[in-house]
Formats: sequence, C-alpha cells, structure tokens
Amino acid sequence: MESIAFGIGITALAGALATVAGAAENTESDIGSQGDPNSQVQLAPQMGYLHRIFNKAIAGEPPAYGLWVCLGAGIAWAFMAMQINPILALVLGSALAVFIQGVYATTAYLGRTASLAKFGQPVFVDVLKSMTTVTMAHAFVAIFTTVTMCHLINAALGHPFPLPLLGLVWGIALGAAGSATGNPFYGKERQYQSQKFGAGVPIAASGNIVRYAEAGERNSLDNGWFSAKLGGPASGLCFGLIVFLEIWRTVLFEQVGAGWGAIIVGIIMILIFAVIDRYIEVWARKNYGPYGKPAEEGS
Amino acid sequence: MSAVGAKPQAGGAMDMPATIAGIILLLVIVGATYFMVGPGLMFMALIGIIIGGLAIAFGVHFVPVGGAPAAMGQAPGIATGVAMLAAGAGLAGLFGGAWAAEQGLVVAVVTGAVGGGLMMAITCMFVTFIYVFGMGIPCASGKVAKDPISGDTQAEFKSQGTEGHGLPFVSYVGGVIGGLLGGGGGTLIYIMLLDVYKEALPGMMQALPAQVLPIAVSLAGIFAIGMFLVNAVLTAYNITGTIEGPHDPKFKRFPRALVASAVASALCGMVAILIVAM
Repeated sequence: MESIAFGIGITALAGALATVAGAAENTESDIGSQGDPNSQVQLAPQMGYLHRIFNKAIAGEPPAYGLWVCLGAGIAWAFMAMQINPILALVLGSALAVFIQGVYATTAYLGRTASLAKFGQPVFVDVLKSMTTVTMAHAFVAIFTTVTMCHLINAALGHPFPLPLLGLVWGIALGAAGSATGNPFYGKERQYQSQKFGAGVPIAASGNIVRYAEAGERNSLDNGWFSAKLGGPASGLCFGLIVFLEIWRTVLFEQVGAGWGAIIVGIIMILIFAVIDRYIEVWARKNYGPYGKPAEEGS
Repeated sequence: MSAVGAKPQAGGAMDMPATIAGIILLLVIVGATYFMVGPGLMFMALIGIIIGGLAIAFGVHFVPVGGAPAAMGQAPGIATGVAMLAAGAGLAGLFGGAWAAEQGLVVAVVTGAVGGGLMMAITCMFVTFIYVFGMGIPCASGKVAKDPISGDTQAEFKSQGTEGHGLPFVSYVGGVIGGLLGGGGGTLIYIMLLDVYKEALPGMMQALPAQVLPIAVSLAGIFAIGMFLVNAVLTAYNITGTIEGPHDPKFKRFPRALVASAVASALCGMVAILIVAM
C-alpha cells in the first residue's frame, strides 16, 4: 500500500513537472519563432514585409528538445556518477544544456537573418540581445523540469532506461506534443491576427504577418505574452496528461492480470479521448456552422 | 524522384526494378546474417526487427501531418513534421513497452502500442481543442467530400482560400492507429535486441548477467530509437510533405515504403546483432 501511495505521489509530481515543461517549451518556441510558424517569419521579408520578430528555427522542436534534454540529462547523470548531490547535478546539467541552446539560438538568428539580406531585412542586434536571454530562460524551465521528471521516473519508479536515454525519449515527445498543440495558435492566431477570426489563413495572404504592436513594432516578447495565454498552457496540459496517464496506468494497473490491466486501462483512456475529440468536433460544426452551402466549395 | 517532379496524387505505383532490387538486397542481408549467426535467437531477432520496422513504416502513413500550412490553418493535419510526430508517439510507446519488458513479449509489445496510441489520442484531442476553442475553426478535410468514418460532409466547412483545417474524425483515428503501430513496432525492436544483448554480452565481457544488464538495456534502447528514426524518416520521404491520414490518396504509396523499410531495418538489425556476434 505504501509503495502504491509513493508511486502515485511520484506520478503526480512527474505530471506536474511535465505540465510546466510543456508550457515553457511552447512559449520558448513561440518567442524564438521555432517550429512551423517560422516559415512565415522567414517568408515575410521575401514578400516585402520587413519585421523585428526573432527567428531562430534551429531544427524542428522535437529533435531540438531531444538534444537539449538529452544533453541536460547526460551531464546531470555524469555529475551524479561523480557523487554530486542529485538536485545540484540536475540544475547544473540543465544550465549547461541551456548554454548550448543559447549558442544555437544566436547562430540561427544571425545566419537565418543574414540570408535575407538581399530582401533588405536587417540583423537587429538589440533583438538578439534582448530575445536570446528570454528564450534561454524559458528553455531552462523546460529542460530542468523534463530532466527532473526523467530522474524521478528512473530513480524513484525504477524505469530500466538510463537517465540520458529517458531524456532523449521524453525530449522528443515534449517537442512533438508542444509543437502539435501550440503551433497553430501562434501561427494563425498571432502572426495573422489581422485576418478574420474563425477561418484559416488564405494561402494568398502568406507572408503578410502582423508587424506592428499597440506602440511601435511588434517584437517576439509580445508573441510570448500572447501564446502564454492559451497555446502554452494547452501544450503543458497535453504533455502533462501524456506523462501522467502513461505512468499512472503502469504504476496502478501493471500488476493486474499480468500486465493486461494497464493495457485495458490504456485502451479505455484512448476511447475516452476519442469521444471527447468527436464531441468537440461536432460542437464546432453545430455552433459555428458551415462557411457556405455543401455544393459550393468553400465560399 | 523529387517532390517537385512527383505526379500530383501519385498513387501506389511501384517502380518494379527498384522493388526487385530491394527484395534481392533484403534476401542477401537476411541470408548473410543466417550464414554468420546460424538459426536461433539472433536470427529470429533479425526477423523481429524487420517486422518491427515494417510496423513503424506502415504506421507513419496513418499519422495526419499538415506541416507548416497546418500552423496557419491552411491545410488539415497536425502542425509538425511527419517523422518527428511519429517519433514522439513511438518513443512514448517504447517508454511504456520497455517498462513492461519483463512481462513477456506479447504484453510488452501491446503495452508499447497502447502507449503510442495514448500519446497520439491526447495530442490529437488537444489539436482539435486549440482549433475549435482557440481559433474558432471547425475541422474540414481537403481530400474527401465525406469523412469515411463519421459520414460528415467536409467541403462547406472549408474556409475560403484554404485546403481545409483541423483534424476530421478519420484523421484522429488515423493518428491513434499510427501511434499504436509505431509504439508496438519500436517496442518489438527493443525487446528483440535486448534478448540478444542479454544473451551475448555476459560471455563477451566475462561478467555476470546482472552486471551487463544496464549496458544491454542502454544499447538496445539507443538502437531501437535509431531504427525508429530510420524508418520514420524513410517514410517521410515517401509521403513527401503532408498527409491527412488513411483517406489521403498519398496513403496508397505505402507498399514502396514497406520495401525500403524492410531493407533498411534488415541492414540496421544486422549491424546491431553483429556487434555482439562477431
């Protein structure tokens, strides 16, 4: 009984850490314009729309976070092998991984923006100085929470994978969940705020991103503020639920029916999420209604 | 063939000389492995690895991926890359499968499959959530007039100047099936390699089985992740960009990916086995 209570406690803590990680990851990637919406930040100057948005698409979010979390976990693991206090090792490992992220962010911004020189897009040194540190701070939160979660799974719950391998697995999953959930909110709702609400961006409008704020030109901190309102928390909830439910079904039901208990609970949860998804889809069709008559294609 | 040169709606047309060359290559690799390690655990592991690779390659075709246009609500699917999303789901499944490895092959593989499916079920639900409640956009497919599962008509829910948006229910189901196959395939590769390493490493390193277990787990885990990415990326090339799910015409291209994936998995599997067999 005590071991189950301990397992549930660790599961809840891991889920909470994953939620914070997901929210920080998405906000970081939106401030840096990483992920798919970056295509528009890169395209805008080519269409004649010069801007002051930070542009640091190093790689897709999943491999980028796979690298950083794996690095953080690997360094922390090495420090722990040197008998350094685990909490200190986790902080140091994450901090060192964040420096790598900072180097990548700097070179990505300079390289990507310099490649747009023939379209007249300047490299803003003040953008580089003010944004890089903010993305690094968010990345630290995301990396530290994910590495700590992996350490809990490994040390307290006894998962067979060593810490760096868990870091790679959950880093890639973190990037996948964060980019899937958060990207549309930043890409459509923020970059194309001037377009009509409740419809996709017409392909003809590509590149015409919003470049001005309430006062002066829009910068990426404004974008971080905006996506922290829904895209970030939703990504956090998504990744938190993935981690929590995955561990929860294993910790509670693994012993039931020689492993089949956890499988059946997993299938039931998949069905529940399918029903919720279908409900939301039908709700939208009923409440928002069609754009045109069935015969007319998209009017 | 480049993405630009590909025919629009290119179906499952197989390039016969390339297919035959692929099958011959596959037989040569399997035969060479049989010649080197003989029948038994290691050879069966290679067959398991090839089956796992095929499951991953087939599963990736189900995952609805919209890439950059999906992030602007210009195309249906999930706004990220094919290989990356599949890897996220498959590795989440591998995490669960590895945990259940002690409970036998079938339980572990099914646990891995359900782990991958659960990851995709949650992620796809949140994609719909963001589209509907964050952006006020209903789901609409650009490739079919009616959703094959729910029967909902699609064209009138497509906003002007776009190819559709969000995840219609058939794409949601496709995502979950993709996660199931990816998680199961990845776990199968891991278990096969783990058995080989647990068997071969103690003799090779002259140590007790308990001492080599962490090395066996790490080695099998990293090879499983690597082979997962090999198969996912190969399939992404076959899909060329975006796919809506099982109802997309591009889905019919999967036989090509299966041949390529069988050859790649066999080669990777042979290397992974020979590092302890030679």
